[in-house]
Amino acid sequence: MAIETHRSPRRRISPARHAPLIAAVVIGLLFTLPLLWVLAGSLRPGDQVLAGLETLSWRSVVPTDATLDNYLTLFQGDFGRAVLNSVVVAAVTVCVGLLLSATAAFGLAVFDFRGRGAVFAVILLSFMIPFDAIAIPLASTFRAWDLQNTYAGLILPGIGNGLAIFLLRQFFLAVPRELVEAARLDGLGWWGIFRRIYLPLSRPALIAAGLTLFTFQWQSYMWPLLIGTEPAKQLGPIALGTLQGQMVVDYGQVFAAAVVLTVIPLVVLLRLQRYFTQSIAGSGLK
Amino acid sequence: MTGLLSRRRLLGTALAAASGAALAGCADDRPAGGRTAVRFLGPETADTFRPVIRGFERAHPDLRVEYTPVPPAQLNDVLQLRLSANDTAIDVYCVDQPRVPALTARGFLTDLRAVDRRTRAAVSQEQYGISTWENVLRCLPVWTSTQYLFYNADLLKKAGVTAPGADPADRWSWEHILQIGRRTMERSGADYALLIEQTDAYYGIQPLAESLGGGSGITGDDMLTPAVTTHGWIAAMTWYGKLFADGLSPRGVSSFEMASLFTAGRAPFFVGGPWNLGAFASLKAFSWGTAPQPKFAQGRAVTPTDSWSWGINPYSNRADAALRFMEYASLTTEGSLATIAASPLIPSHRGAFDRYAADLDRNATRSTQGVAAIMRHELAETAVSRPRSIGYTQFETVMGSAFSDIRNGSPAEARLAKASAELVRTWERLR
Repeated sequence: MAIETHRSPRRRISPARHAPLIAAVVIGLLFTLPLLWVLAGSLRPGDQVLAGLETLSWRSVVPTDATLDNYLTLFQGDFGRAVLNSVVVAAVTVCVGLLLSATAAFGLAVFDFRGRGAVFAVILLSFMIPFDAIAIPLASTFRAWDLQNTYAGLILPGIGNGLAIFLLRQFFLAVPRELVEAARLDGLGWWGIFRRIYLPLSRPALIAAGLTLFTFQWQSYMWPLLIGTEPAKQLGPIALGTLQGQMVVDYGQVFAAAVVLTVIPLVVLLRLQRYFTQSIAGSGLK
Repeated sequence: MTGLLSRRRLLGTALAAASGAALAGCADDRPAGGRTAVRFLGPETADTFRPVIRGFERAHPDLRVEYTPVPPAQLNDVLQLRLSANDTAIDVYCVDQPRVPALTARGFLTDLRAVDRRTRAAVSQEQYGISTWENVLRCLPVWTSTQYLFYNADLLKKAGVTAPGADPADRWSWEHILQIGRRTMERSGADYALLIEQTDAYYGIQPLAESLGGGSGITGDDMLTPAVTTHGWIAAMTWYGKLFADGLSPRGVSSFEMASLFTAGRAPFFVGGPWNLGAFASLKAFSWGTAPQPKFAQGRAVTPTDSWSWGINPYSNRADAALRFMEYASLTTEGSLATIAASPLIPSHRGAFDRYAADLDRNATRSTQGVAAIMRHELAETAVSRPRSIGYTQFETVMGSAFSDIRNGSPAEARLAKASAELVRTWERLR
């Protein structure tokens, strides 16, 4: 009983101790409100989405007259194809981009060659220049190469990603040299070392680099607008933009499209985020 | 192990499929079924142009149309980039009518003198004029426009107020609108008195300044001298700023959201375009009416007009097919009516216009009674086009920022002076 009496004052002060946690939960909930509002809007008839814009109440995030009509109408049009295009473009970018980035990072991390520092500096510089700044002249070049309205034209700029190379190089540098030397003694070639030692050890970094490549392509707006505007090659974000006409907008459909385009990367990121954190920790960025 | 293998197999299959798709995408886009494709680019949804494309393809079995929608906010940038790169993959594109001089000056519009006589005969005089620059026809007009005053009949009834009439001779003044709007707010619980659909757009604001004799805002022989600090402009913009400062109209609500606020019963009055007629009519529980756009008590009645024409890319290698498509949409009654089948805009074609007006009369409900008469009157008597200048693009951008700032509290006179100075600097490069 004495112990119980001794513990009770501590319990009384526990809310104060948990205040940061409570604050974090409240702030987290506040951050989800706009997302819930978009989700609720996507389940409302188009003309009612913005009707209660300024009076925030529980009805703002809970649709009382929920309907899936917006989603049905959306996928009866060209939006489904645009989402599929986005998935294809992002998947190819991740696969091919990872292969290129990993081999480039391996070269930079393992081989000691003349000009290595200069090459690495160029790679660092490449991801510090905003892509939009070079998109317009690059689009003219792609057009001259007849790459407009092709998947290749959409995918190519996303493949050579300096940040992905940087992330992987930093991770590869941490692989013990003894492992490489032992493998060399056992007769393993450089390709074998890359494939059998570096790649299996670098799974978190590969996932992080893959996510970098994926988000670059998934969020891309300016580039597909310049190079892939034909309906058959349109990507999700552009299809979302074209749901709004010059005169009339169906916000229900716009919100439904926004939900679809958010849920796909959300699922990918949530599924893989723990590897991403590990990789950032291991890359020396944190 | 099985899981790993299946995952690997899945990845491999996805990569192979995606690579195949990528390679397939590299193949050229030859016209399907031997039909030549007219590549058409515009800011509307695909649904808007579906009827006219179907009608054209039925009438011309050897041709087909590939429509590429571009988000409206990016249309001008995309056109600028692609046309300046001599892009041959656009044949026909939508031309915002006040931009005809600028597009012509940049060499982005094909000379259409070959169909000048037919165009002059087919479309209204005002629409013919707006599609020319330096006496040369540069594009074919498709739509024109006007604005109406829409009112919420239930709110006015609740406030015990008589609704405005449809006769242009009994046009209400802006001052009267605000007085009745305030009363309706007090008695019916409406949040606002008046909603203006095109808040930050020159199209929606020009009539305010013109009504008070402020002019278009551009003057000079070369139409590259700003005139936005006239008494009329300052008075109109001061009124406009006060509208929001007094809480009679909402700040922070974009143009596209205004109609939703109106149909939700948040304000008794809404000034907007003819495209709202169809959207409002589809709302069964919404009781509304139409009246002429107001004017200032001491000013003259002015309404906005102009809309979209279609032009041919000079670098197109399918110019003949492109012209046939444009002729169908602009110079034939059937084609012109098809352009408004999905979105109730006003056709530029004379025959189609008469049919459109007759349909409005024939199908008039209590809400749309007198709309055709208002439209005819406004287009003939009160419509004022946007200024014709090669600097209009920059003018629209600079003035859009000024309207937004004034709406959010900037003093009108100082902000207009700043816009004027900005325009002088910007237009110096165009002289």
